[in-house]
Amino acid sequence: MKRQIPLLLTFLAGAIPTIAFFVPQKHVGLVSTTLDSWLIIVAGFALLLGVVNVVQMNTNKIKRQASGWPYAIVLLAGLAIMGFFGVAGAFDKFGGIATRPDGSSTPFDWLYKYGFLPLQGTMFALLAFFMASASYRAFRARNTEATILLIAALLVMFGRIPFGEMVSKWFPLATEWIMGKPNMAAQRGIMIGAALGAASMALRVILGIERSYLGLGKGE
Amino acid sequence: MQIDRRIIYLFVAIGTILPIIFVIGLPVSITPPVQMAFDRIENQLQKGDIALVSFDYGPSSAPENAPMADAILRHCFSKGIKVVVIALYPLGGLSEAVNEVNKVVAEFPELKYGVDYVNLGYKDGAQAAMKKMAENIHEVFPTDVNGTPLDELPIMKNIRTYRDMKLVVSLATGIIGEWWANLVNAQFGIPVIVGPTAVSAPKYYAYLEAKQMAGLLGGLKGASEYERLVVNSYPKLAEVYATPGLYTATKGMDVQSIVHLIMIAFIVFGNIVYFTSKRKPRKAS
Amino acid sequence: MLSFLYKDNPFFRLAESFFAGLSLGYYIGIVMNQTLKPNLVLPLIHDFQANWHLVFAAGLGVILYFRYIKRVAWVSRWALAVYVGYYVGVNMMQKLHGEVIPQVGDTMLSLSYHGIGTLWNLVMVIGVLSVLIYFYFSTEHKGVIGGISRIGIWFLMISFGAAFGYTVMGRVSLLIGRMVFLVNEWARPLIGLIT
Repeated sequence: MKRQIPLLLTFLAGAIPTIAFFVPQKHVGLVSTTLDSWLIIVAGFALLLGVVNVVQMNTNKIKRQASGWPYAIVLLAGLAIMGFFGVAGAFDKFGGIATRPDGSSTPFDWLYKYGFLPLQGTMFALLAFFMASASYRAFRARNTEATILLIAALLVMFGRIPFGEMVSKWFPLATEWIMGKPNMAAQRGIMIGAALGAASMALRVILGIERSYLGLGKGE
Repeated sequence: MQIDRRIIYLFVAIGTILPIIFVIGLPVSITPPVQMAFDRIENQLQKGDIALVSFDYGPSSAPENAPMADAILRHCFSKGIKVVVIALYPLGGLSEAVNEVNKVVAEFPELKYGVDYVNLGYKDGAQAAMKKMAENIHEVFPTDVNGTPLDELPIMKNIRTYRDMKLVVSLATGIIGEWWANLVNAQFGIPVIVGPTAVSAPKYYAYLEAKQMAGLLGGLKGASEYERLVVNSYPKLAEVYATPGLYTATKGMDVQSIVHLIMIAFIVFGNIVYFTSKRKPRKAS
Repeated sequence: MLSFLYKDNPFFRLAESFFAGLSLGYYIGIVMNQTLKPNLVLPLIHDFQANWHLVFAAGLGVILYFRYIKRVAWVSRWALAVYVGYYVGVNMMQKLHGEVIPQVGDTMLSLSYHGIGTLWNLVMVIGVLSVLIYFYFSTEHKGVIGGISRIGIWFLMISFGAAFGYTVMGRVSLLIGRMVFLVNEWARPLIGLIT
């Protein structure tokens, strides 16, 4: 029973939107759209599952005084501050989590603008530096394939900037051709292959052949 | 020949800072995917039509997606197109939607919230929300971002499903933009324009070619092209974009140009060093 | 944050940890305000008769957290089964109807002569087929199959090169955003104050 019920639920939850896709009948559609409403709510709960996990991990780190435990305190502090204003906003305190009618920021929005946004923006900005360093070190025309990759990359990099067009109008045209023809063909091939793979995996999950997501092996 | 990585970082930093201080003003050429997106809004949408703009990005790609969002919103508002704003990206989509809409709306004092535009906020379960919006958008978003019931907002009175809208514009990082093309456009037929980050843009050419998308704004270059198009068509927006100190994609492309040249130079230099060092042992033997 | 470019240091680790905490707190805020309150709590409070079925959704959501209680952890599989089953069902039709069919359909291009367009159509058809053959691992890539899959690799290399070029643009854009902030909103006013 402990194994059968989840497999049955997976089958039903997967079959309903699939059947509704093919059967445009009122009652089938009603069941499907009701499930859509439910899953919006369940997705919200699922998102918070990650938060609980991280809190648990960092609390254990602090208890055991494992390596880097002061940073766990900082993490939990950030979570608590932002989370407090988020929850308070749900109870209509401090004006919510967006901006107030007069345009001023609520504490949640202020923390986003002056804490979260600059920190995440800078974290991702670091990638530009790493990219430059990595491309100098690793980007070598070692063989035919690497040379093709290098030439395509240099053409696209040069063709997409205004300097490319100033040097010759053929650079942006070549870039657009690369994007619209060979790149598009390769991406389409990847997309078709990946989509067929994903669809067949989805069918395996719905039919209960694939059970690893439940922590069950094939034989269980 | 190994160059200390910090020297490379220094070159990149200088290449970024100098064009910000000394604006070059390089011209921007228009590519067909962006022209298609512009033409869809300019020629196929009329005053009073509804466009759904979905903020599916966060601070991790805001420097690319925010200029796209601003240009699209400014274009829609200049043409009198009504805009319904939503967000489906959990890590910052809501706040980006709130802040960008507030910023652009301040330039159009004649617009009224709830009549000309509305912000419905964020919703979890992106695909579930997209599917459900085809049946009843009021059940997906019962209130706007501030908790006002949709029944109290005149703009939402006649909007129930995608059939009541003329266009969806998704400004996306990651996979959500693809879902608008392969789920919403494929199953419900509404035209979709996507403004992905440059990292994701190559994949979207396949959707564009298969007519699953009505236009594509790829990265900062796409945003700068769209800015150029709206500036050429709307003199009021030309004044807005000429505001000193305003960060625009067009100014960003100046910086892109310099940094790209620096990277190309390093790559070419690295390959020259590689080939010359390969030849040396042969000469020795 | 930028100090990491020189070397990993406690200030960077501090900023990184605080950022991680803020992002998790952000999740709490948006889920409670934008999903649970308007889509679950308020409908149940204002009109329970019409919305009673949402109790099941709430139940499924709560059951997800049973994994943290050893005795009833097995029950959380039920909620997980519904969640995974639904998204997998949606994805299956999305992939087949929204990707495979339109993309295959658009690959069926006319190869009869009509100018330069024929050449580009040929490039597209050869590209798609050769890439698909490259990813077909049930046959050894030898002989004709090996030759066609080599062509597929070349198309993939062109695509990855183009993707690299775009990725450079993407990453640099993020740097530009931060530098514009630092120059225009910090350095310039600071220099103005000093001079």
